[in-house]
Amino acid sequence: MAYREKLAWLTLGAMLIAYAVYFTWLALAMRQGEPTLLGILLPFGLAAGGQGILVAGAGAVLAASARRERQDRADERDRAIARRGATAAYYVLLAGMILVGVVMPFGEPAWRIVNAALLAIVVAEAGRLLLIISSYRRGWHG
Amino acid sequence: MARPPIANQIRTLRFLAGEMTQAELGQRIGMTRQTVAAIEAGKYSPTLEAAFRIAHVFGKPIDEVFQWTGESG
Repeated sequence: MAYREKLAWLTLGAMLIAYAVYFTWLALAMRQGEPTLLGILLPFGLAAGGQGILVAGAGAVLAASARRERQDRADERDRAIARRGATAAYYVLLAGMILVGVVMPFGEPAWRIVNAALLAIVVAEAGRLLLIISSYRRGWHG
Repeated sequence: MARPPIANQIRTLRFLAGEMTQAELGQRIGMTRQTVAAIEAGKYSPTLEAAFRIAHVFGKPIDEVFQWTGESG
């Protein structure tokens, strides 16, 4: 498995774990009334921090175990796959930002807009990473 | 993903070049071993420049390394 594919798996796993916990907490908190912006700050900080620590820790182990591969510069296939992922994620993010920046401000409270933006980012990033992984796995012909 | 109608003889040419490894070929054309493996398996179509580089390593014209297997015209 290519080093960049392993890195994509790791980033995806850490992100899904962190934000699954965060959005589960949010769904439970919503049952007890509307959360405030300050109220969501701590759980969000914990999720983002946890994700960062997980990626940094597991990334260091991965880098140590694949020292030679890590030093390989990205070649044309790596760059083509990265471009493909970024292009797809751009459209997901664009749709999400239109929703949260143009549609939602007309009738939604701030905490909901903030979380919708966060969800759009997570979905776009997850899509990007899944596309990268599938391109490495199943092949990509540019 | 459907494979492109392009066959290649890289495995054979590596064998004829004294069992050249994928890593060695990759090093000579500026690619990772995984990318060479993907090209060999038909999972990645290299750019024209990379295809010429591969052919150059084996001292062959490009059409002896890569062949179009789709319908002509």
